[in-house]
Amino acid sequence: MTAEVEARPAVVVRPAAPAAAGQTRGLLMALPPMVLIAFFIGFPVVLAFGFSLGFTGGLNRTVALIGQNVHTAHGIVPTLSAYAEMFTNARFLGDLVVTVVVTVVSTTVVILLAVGIGLYLKFSGGLIGKLLSALAVIPLFIPVVIASWAILGFYSANGFLRSVAANLGLGFPVWSYTLVTVVIGSVWTSLPFATLLVTSGLQAVPQAMIDAARDAGASFWRVVGSVVVPMAGVPIIIATTFTAIGILGSFTVPYFTGPNSPNMLGVDMSNYFSAFNQPQQAVVIAFIVFAIASGIAAVYVWANFRSAKESGAV
Amino acid sequence: MPRALSRGVVVLLAALLALFIIGPLLWLAMRAFAASWTYPDLLPDAWTFRWWSVVFSDRALGVAVQNSLFFAPITVLVSAVICLPAAYAFARFEFPGRRFFLIGVFAANSFPKMGLFVSLAALFYALNLMNTILGILVVHVLGTVVFMTWIPAAAFAAVPRSLEEAARDAGASKLRTFFSVTLPMALPGILVAAIMSFLSSFDEAQGTYLVGAPDYMTMPTQMYSLVLNYPTQVAAVFSILLAIPSVALLLAAHKHIVGGHLAEGFQIK
Repeated sequence: MTAEVEARPAVVVRPAAPAAAGQTRGLLMALPPMVLIAFFIGFPVVLAFGFSLGFTGGLNRTVALIGQNVHTAHGIVPTLSAYAEMFTNARFLGDLVVTVVVTVVSTTVVILLAVGIGLYLKFSGGLIGKLLSALAVIPLFIPVVIASWAILGFYSANGFLRSVAANLGLGFPVWSYTLVTVVIGSVWTSLPFATLLVTSGLQAVPQAMIDAARDAGASFWRVVGSVVVPMAGVPIIIATTFTAIGILGSFTVPYFTGPNSPNMLGVDMSNYFSAFNQPQQAVVIAFIVFAIASGIAAVYVWANFRSAKESGAV
Repeated sequence: MPRALSRGVVVLLAALLALFIIGPLLWLAMRAFAASWTYPDLLPDAWTFRWWSVVFSDRALGVAVQNSLFFAPITVLVSAVICLPAAYAFARFEFPGRRFFLIGVFAANSFPKMGLFVSLAALFYALNLMNTILGILVVHVLGTVVFMTWIPAAAFAAVPRSLEEAARDAGASKLRTFFSVTLPMALPGILVAAIMSFLSSFDEAQGTYLVGAPDYMTMPTQMYSLVLNYPTQVAAVFSILLAIPSVALLLAAHKHIVGGHLAEGFQIK
């Protein structure tokens, strides 16, 4: 189990000897997934960005004709009126706040749990450590649709917690279809990935460093705060950014377990596209979410470059 | 803190985590065997297998199972063919645009999925990919690229060059070296990537629904309509069926996944 993770040195990739031949071959081998991404993600996203700015010609013609409430640009001058419409829409603004709050709260809980489990494994291990890490990985293997549905039932009016409370003669709130279950569901589904990343990062901290700090008289919490967590900083940042981006754009968990309104923007995107038949507004929401995700992604890229620099790869 | 007390706190926290993670799953699983259930009892009034026969005799549900078992392996295969050479290139060659490509994979992954599918719709209409097997495959493969390039790339990079050079010195051809030294050593990482891709395809619901419904329903997309249109117990049975392949994979590859291959893959180098 996780205890078997070795403290691997960071792998430094060096170019092979015949550089020019390797360059062409490497480029050719790397192209297929890049072409796939460029054609089926990059290209449609650029098209959609044009659509969000009011360009309704070309490949956007069909979707602009079908859709309602489409803002159209005049000639080549883009229009921001679709964005303006959303940013003056009280319901959208409420959902934007909800999305950010759910993301921040869930990500914080996930990372705290992951670091807690990772630290326990690092310092105590044993049966409980193995049990904790095994538990945290389980959600990875449960399809999100099922997870959302199971969580909805567990916290519902006739769910487990309410049943137990009723048997004890106590009251317990109904959490189904509230933002509480959205946070619970987000934490549940994001926990495995974060735990794997954080645990492996913590395991890689050399035991000698910890022993040295201990010998110098540092307390347990001092060792954790000044040695272990900073040394595993990059994996923790990577886990945080991936978790936050995943929750930010999530659809299934809020769709199944959340309230009708306010809810997260992933649900709004789907509603605007399918139920309201306003594809332009759906695309505008997607770009607003993407803008926030890009901010988080910048932190991820920065953390990676820092780690690459430290290991001497750059 | 006294040792016994702190140990008690840890055990309590572990029990809470177990309740948090497993509780909802058990609560759901019991529904699959429940004839009826009176609140606030903690167990059903009576047990039955009736819901299982409902599921097994429903043709639409059977087709969904078949579709899921068709799309997931094909997705893994297609994704491996497209991405594994790239993973090797990322690990072993320095080429122009390498870092840009690596970040491109990440950027593509951070665009909200629902927004991507909404954007894809225009292109899919233009290319006649709506309601086609190829269209669904494209959606599924897109979701696997990040796993199939990053995790194997880290696995290839972790194979010591000295071993490859030793094989070459001993007279092995480049191809032979790759297949008898590099590939076997990178195999656990590739296996983890394949499993993550399988699960991602098996789990994909939003895009499949948008592109495939109602002609091609997979198990997760069928779950959406089940929850709304069938008794709770039927959806519970279906959930158990949907979880079986995943749990089997968990048991088979648990060691490799927890062993750091996944974590290794998510650091761009």
